Amino acid sequence: MTLKMRYLDLKTKIRAVRMLAIEGIAEAGSGHPGASFSAAEIMGALYFRKLVHNQFDPFWKGRDYFINSKGHSAPGFYATLAVSGYFPIEEIKSLRGFGSRLQGHPVRYSEQQQKWSVPGIEYSGGSEGIGLSVSVGLALANRLDGNANHIFTLIGDGESNEGQVWEAAMSAAKFRLDNLTAILDRNRIQQDGFTEDIMPLDPVRDKWVAFNWNVIEIDGHRVEQLIDAINKSLEVKDKPTIIIANTVKGYGIKHMTNNPQWHGKAPPRKQTPILLEELDCEFLIAPSIIAGGKENYEEKIRMAERGGADIIHLDVMDGRFVPNHTFLADTIHKLRKITSMPFDAHLMIESPAAVIDDYIAARCDVITVHAEACKQDEFSEINSKLISNGISPGIAINPDTALPDWIWDYLDSIDVINILSVNPGFPGQKFIPTVLPKMINAVKELRRNGYKGYVEADGGIDSLTLPLVYEAGARILVTGNAVYGTPDIQGAILQLKHSANVVLEKKLLNLSTSIGIRDDWLKTRKHILIPFANELEIEEEIHALK
Amino acid sequence: MLLSKGKASLDMRSAYGDSLVEAGLKYPQIVCVGADTTDSLKTKKFGNKFPERFFNVGIAEANLVSVAAGLAMAGKIAFASTYAAFLPGRCLDQIRNAICYPNLNVKLVVSHAGLTVGPDGASHQQIEDLATMRAIPNMKVIVPSDAISVMKLISTSVRTRGPVYMRLARPPSEVLYDDSTAEFSLGKGNLLREGKDATLIGCGLMVSTSIKAAEILREEYSINCGVIDMFSVKPIDDELLEKAAKDTGLLVSIEEHNIFGGLGGAVAESVSSRYPVPVERIGVADVFGESARDEELELLLDVYGLSPANVAKKVAEAVKRRK
Repeated sequence: MTLKMRYLDLKTKIRAVRMLAIEGIAEAGSGHPGASFSAAEIMGALYFRKLVHNQFDPFWKGRDYFINSKGHSAPGFYATLAVSGYFPIEEIKSLRGFGSRLQGHPVRYSEQQQKWSVPGIEYSGGSEGIGLSVSVGLALANRLDGNANHIFTLIGDGESNEGQVWEAAMSAAKFRLDNLTAILDRNRIQQDGFTEDIMPLDPVRDKWVAFNWNVIEIDGHRVEQLIDAINKSLEVKDKPTIIIANTVKGYGIKHMTNNPQWHGKAPPRKQTPILLEELDCEFLIAPSIIAGGKENYEEKIRMAERGGADIIHLDVMDGRFVPNHTFLADTIHKLRKITSMPFDAHLMIESPAAVIDDYIAARCDVITVHAEACKQDEFSEINSKLISNGISPGIAINPDTALPDWIWDYLDSIDVINILSVNPGFPGQKFIPTVLPKMINAVKELRRNGYKGYVEADGGIDSLTLPLVYEAGARILVTGNAVYGTPDIQGAILQLKHSANVVLEKKLLNLSTSIGIRDDWLKTRKHILIPFANELEIEEEIHALK
Repeated sequence: MLLSKGKASLDMRSAYGDSLVEAGLKYPQIVCVGADTTDSLKTKKFGNKFPERFFNVGIAEANLVSVAAGLAMAGKIAFASTYAAFLPGRCLDQIRNAICYPNLNVKLVVSHAGLTVGPDGASHQQIEDLATMRAIPNMKVIVPSDAISVMKLISTSVRTRGPVYMRLARPPSEVLYDDSTAEFSLGKGNLLREGKDATLIGCGLMVSTSIKAAEILREEYSINCGVIDMFSVKPIDDELLEKAAKDTGLLVSIEEHNIFGGLGGAVAESVSSRYPVPVERIGVADVFGESARDEELELLLDVYGLSPANVAKKVAEAVKRRK
């Protein structure tokens, strides 16, 4: 099934949610960053893609329901609603305050509660273990009324300590509620510590299978897996579905990650700019499978997936736009069957407008066409076609090409701009250094004009050049031989990520210095910074912290 | 207020079951959730009539009331029923957070409240529910005194938006009201009998006990007592209580509930700020009950101070103390 998720735009929105949530929590001085972040992709996949809802008519009869049973994820939930347009984004700053519509735990909107809620909030959370039962009631009522809508319920793994969750589980199976999908935010941490220490939940999959649910287990931070799982759950008959989304508590801010301490603690307000910077600097590693020869594509994709890559870069060459021939849409179509990982198809072909339908049909998630290969009107046509098919549109430019004049008209709809650092055609070429100042200027100019999408660096990217383009603002990092030129793919990807993270940690540390909280930041970040101490030349400082 | 002349006994649960079917015919949005006690609660009748609107969740009270909340969120009028020992006994948090806080249209109709559960013993003798239910914002608390008032008050509940807690008793109850004339509104008590020395304020089965006690008081103690059926424990009828306080100077509450926090508490709270007079609270004296067979129920009530004779004695003492 086509995911139609407009992958990069979805990632961008979820990033905005994390930034908004942390701003709110820091401003409030309390709140739950851990769950807000572990569930960010889950709520994003729903609100920005799969949930049938209308922010302008929140209680519209045909809507899907989202029941947030883990009410303490409120900051992330509110941020998701704000980015969806349910209320003004600035209002997040009132979080948890007196007189705020954004109460500590979400409140079901009604006339009586309008001072403490916003339209669109269906369920008053806060007391754990109840939401799934309420969803059973909703599913029964909607089925009784013959509605074609769906009930989605977010539950927590700590919450699953509550016996009521299992009462609800039994009843949903008894009533054959195929209009109900629960999503378990399996972040493995609850307030007192790790779930498996406090009250073991595993084998969680077996439990739900035994309760007669359809069970799908995925990586809950991979939106493509979430969308795919949700699609599958919508097709199941006679059974409720649970999506076990394996997540990481605090995902997005490294020192909060997988640390029970950050279940319900706010960061100091003065650290906000640094945290926002970290979230904004999220990057994607995109291995290009033509590296190391035109064969074993399937195996290379599998290795990249296992190795922790984010997306698969597909260099499509027609032998005319570039003097080389790799593969075309039919190959992508075959490769599509083996993974749900996002496919980033870089079309180095003449007249892309003429064949764009083939690549849409091949179910690419990102399609980038060359500015040199199409005129504005052709791009316009491609762009709107891609968007209407839920595909992220992109533009690529060669090392000696400037951004096309007409690009400024499309900044709201382009999801990625690929600034090539080699002349396309062959893998294994050396990075062209003059591209760097061009990239720096382009990023500045694009951001100044409100571009929120990705900049992609492609060509000669290895652990030496990656820090340069990352520093310059590239957030999709296409790598070929640096990944496939070694037998240890996972190690290579880790090394590339590390080289980016050195840049990131340095950047954040410098920012902390410039706002006068370096010592404070070093303390907060200590256990993350230790592996970087040598490269950042802060060994003594770290040592002195104790 | 006209009392029924017949003095027949009718089962409150059957009255509930019949009324629910009747209401179900009139209101297609009524649904009912049960918890493995649907035969006993007589909601099975509704289930037989409207199988697609009836859901049995098994012995799972937390789920029972929360599923009802979900049904109400989707526009249904959701009835949830089981024994009072477990609803609200086992699901106070769900009632508070999932039903009352969002002010949902859920009607919790429970049976087997108080000591008169009988043989099942203290584990099943719910004597704390009025205190807990009364304390939750948005909740209305109703304790009907006979089968007629059950029927009338089910209909009232359906027409009242928001959460309602209605408490029924297990044994057959004497019919006190005349079906054609009796009226029941929320927030209004029914003055069944005028008096001048004291006013007995009862709810549930203790209304008929109050009437009998008033007779004993008149005949044996020459004390003239008024009697109020305070079926609407919350909202309570402040005006009627104030008038009774002014007219008789002594209020006596009688309930099958702990003397703390129930009807007695509600009466005392009301008059203490409007027109303070002595309030004598008669109920279960902060102890757990015990088993008694059906034929021993009168004995049980007597031992726990809730027989007409016992009530009369306590009222007489209170009247004496005042003088």
